[in-house]
Amino acid sequence: MARRNLTRNTLRTALAALGVLIGVFAIASLGLFGNILALSASAELGGIGNQLIITPNEDAGVTGLDIRDVDAVTRAVGTDGTAVPLLTTSGLLSASGGQTFGQVYGADNPAALFTAREGTIPDRHRQGAIVGGDVAETLDLRIGSAIEVESSRYRVIAILESEELLTPVNPNSAVILPEAAFAQRSYDQIVVQAQSGESASVIAERVRTQLNSREERVSVFELSSILETIDEFFSLLNQFLLGIAGISLVVAGVSIFNVMLMSTTERRQEIGVLRAVGVQKGDVLRVLLAEAVLLGVIGGLFGALFAGLAAIGLVFIAPIGFDVVLVASNAVYLFGAFVFGVIVCLLSGLYPAYKAATLRPVEALRG
Amino acid sequence: MTQEQTQTHPVVEDNAPAIELQDVVKTYNTGGETIDALAGVDLAIEAGEFLAIVGPSGSGKSTLLNILGLLDVPTSGAVRIHDRDVTTLSERERTTARKESIGFVFQDFHLLPSLTATENVCVPTMFDTGRDATGRAEQLLTRVGLGDRLTHTPDELSGGQQQRVAIARALINEPTIVLADEPTGNLDQDTGHTILDEFRRVCDAGVSVIAVTHDEVVTTYADRTIELIDGVIHRG
Ligand SMILES: Nc1ncnc2c1ncn2[C@@H]1O[C@H](COP(=O)(O)OP(=O)(O)OP(=O)(O)O)[C@@H](O)[C@H]1O
Ligand SMILES: [Mg+2]
Repeated sequence: MARRNLTRNTLRTALAALGVLIGVFAIASLGLFGNILALSASAELGGIGNQLIITPNEDAGVTGLDIRDVDAVTRAVGTDGTAVPLLTTSGLLSASGGQTFGQVYGADNPAALFTAREGTIPDRHRQGAIVGGDVAETLDLRIGSAIEVESSRYRVIAILESEELLTPVNPNSAVILPEAAFAQRSYDQIVVQAQSGESASVIAERVRTQLNSREERVSVFELSSILETIDEFFSLLNQFLLGIAGISLVVAGVSIFNVMLMSTTERRQEIGVLRAVGVQKGDVLRVLLAEAVLLGVIGGLFGALFAGLAAIGLVFIAPIGFDVVLVASNAVYLFGAFVFGVIVCLLSGLYPAYKAATLRPVEALRG
Repeated sequence: MTQEQTQTHPVVEDNAPAIELQDVVKTYNTGGETIDALAGVDLAIEAGEFLAIVGPSGSGKSTLLNILGLLDVPTSGAVRIHDRDVTTLSERERTTARKESIGFVFQDFHLLPSLTATENVCVPTMFDTGRDATGRAEQLLTRVGLGDRLTHTPDELSGGQQQRVAIARALINEPTIVLADEPTGNLDQDTGHTILDEFRRVCDAGVSVIAVTHDEVVTTYADRTIELIDGVIHRG
């Protein structure tokens, strides 16, 4: 019955369903996009939440971290991660392929922080140079090539993976040498790679109590705090997007309200006939509400479907993986938008349906 | 209750009228002005009787029909169907009583455009769970001469055919009374005759027919004609 009535005025029904479709699509897709954005951002940034950077507190006159500091940090880290003390400078890098300026790090145990694309990073870095991806490309370096760093020659033992991610120690245009290559003996920073975000903050706390008990000797920078800020930003963005989408569903609701109102006024006499031949108010109400819900279900299904397709399409046009699209929280957005659409339809159909059903049959029949 | 009613009322054991109005008054209030649409109407219609109601425009004919059809309640007076006082029924009970005892035929047919003839006839039974009236509907349509038009929609039927579908619809619940407001008003004379023949047959089956009309022809088919002037019965 409800379906029949809807197919009668096909154009009007289609327009109303389109309204719902757009509303649900807007909610679902904006919600999805926001979620996907947040998910892929945290997938890209996820790793840095596990890192801590410990630097000398220059405000307190500390210019470098000595071996006692390194020992203290190593003890604080314990088995929850790895502390990598870094000596930092920059200099001229040259090879047969040309020359360039680059960052030069000194580290004996860089394996915890970096991954090699070619060659291997030894656990104990005693000799040879580990070069970043960009450096290798610019200077046309291979495993075994010679590289000259500030007039000392080294053999390339590993070439690092190009890191697109945001990392505190970006190795792309850097060279990592053994500590022995440096004259300086005080470290510029200690990077701690923890096993998880939680252990990172535990370690941070321990480092602070151990090294900063008498004076603020070091500053400990938790990268997870950036993540939190980013997360907050994304959830704000998401709420904003959903708000916009909500407005469009309200607009759709108004149009459904209008459609229902029009269709009940148009069918006043019919409803009068139904009432006259003994159909109860409640049954009329149910038929009209069923129409509204059917509209909502049809529009909502297509809206959610299109939003889902759009999200999948996103994978092909944007640097986003299927892994962040095909997750449960996205399905929640789709389903939520669908349910919301149906509810809006039901609510906006309620008043016109109630009004039509409670109209006195005599008046309805008069037309 | 439904069962009991349908089982007892087609058999007229006593001499109680099919429907009876006792001193019915209906007044309308419009903007402080009171109109007596009906000013004390006494009327009794026997089972199987064909009654025509005529009268000038605004004399209260439709008002009378609405009260007879339990679509409206009188300001004072009583309505009795088969000796049962239905004046004080609730809205819901009145709807049920309407469904059980009364069939309606309207001037402009009022069929649902999206439904076939058979489905239109079934409309009064649409919300009865577990009841399929299709068989009876087809039987009724065949009876009114539309056995070959069962699956046609109203726009595929002529006015006379549509009105016959409406008559079949009015009969689907085996009513005791069929009420018709200007049943031939939108039909040409010949078609009017076929409809009135149909009403005649309905009466012969023991159902009372009450028709409001401006059409003189209707009165020639009726057993009795009453004239309503300013809410008062003048002849009958
Ligand atoms: N809902 C209403 N509110 C106020 N006055 C009404 C209402 N319905 C009918 N009336 C008045 O009651 C009187 C009788 O109206 P009714 O419709 O019964 O006349 P009728 O005999 O059917 O006329 P017609 O032959 O033109 O159909 C008229 O004066 C009309 O104006
Ligand atoms: Mg009238």
